[in-house]
Amino acid sequence: MLAIDFGTQGTVVMSGRLDAAQSPKAQEFLDGVQGAVTLDCTRLEYISSLGLGVLLKTQKRLLGKGGKLRLAGVSPHLQDIFVYSGFDRIFEIETAPQP
Amino acid sequence: MSTARAFARGIDSIERIFEFTSDYFARSAIDPRLLPTVDLVVEELFTNMVKYGTLPGSATEIRIAMEAVEGGVEVELVDHGVDEFDMTEAPDVDTTRPIEEREAGGLGLHLIRRLVDSWHYEYSEARRESRITFTKTLAGIPAPTRRKTTGVT
Repeated sequence: MLAIDFGTQGTVVMSGRLDAAQSPKAQEFLDGVQGAVTLDCTRLEYISSLGLGVLLKTQKRLLGKGGKLRLAGVSPHLQDIFVYSGFDRIFEIETAPQP
Repeated sequence: MSTARAFARGIDSIERIFEFTSDYFARSAIDPRLLPTVDLVVEELFTNMVKYGTLPGSATEIRIAMEAVEGGVEVELVDHGVDEFDMTEAPDVDTTRPIEEREAGGLGLHLIRRLVDSWHYEYSEARRESRITFTKTLAGIPAPTRRKTTGVT
């Protein structure tokens, strides 16, 4: 399952699994954000290509209006997925501290 | 010890598929670090089969089988009553393109190629059956191969 909500200081906190079944829910939420937004991925365990599509669509929309989506708290697994997808070229990514 | 289960052809099956994979990982003592990658590959293959293989006469279920192997797991997805579509030959996405030219389509198969040790596709014309198998281990290196069958094997 996926949970998504506003955190502190304008961040958006996503937790759980952003899979094909949960992507519409994430897209609906992110369609409502504006400006420079940090997506806290600290508790995001999983993302698939449809989830990547949600982030890409959101980034395109925000950049077109002078904003941007920044990814923070990214785990090594998610970082691999983002790099393989070329998302490190189109998103500012902050990795999570290693334990 | 191997396991297999059939799942209804639809995105709503995703949650049950993840329960199936995590349960098998736990029972077979497969390194849990491999689970997110295995789930990702299974989801991408399954959703491709749902998206492109839903035709008049296609099976209502897609079968997924798993077997523990040295250092990891082998997974097979089988779909019946479908046309031939070799996912292993899908082109890569050009990830160097600027964001204005980027689309999400094709990323799933692009990712699989980079994440699995090996994957291969078989098609039986007699059964109109697509069968795709991949292996993921902690030590693996991607190496796509392809085989085709034309009759009952």
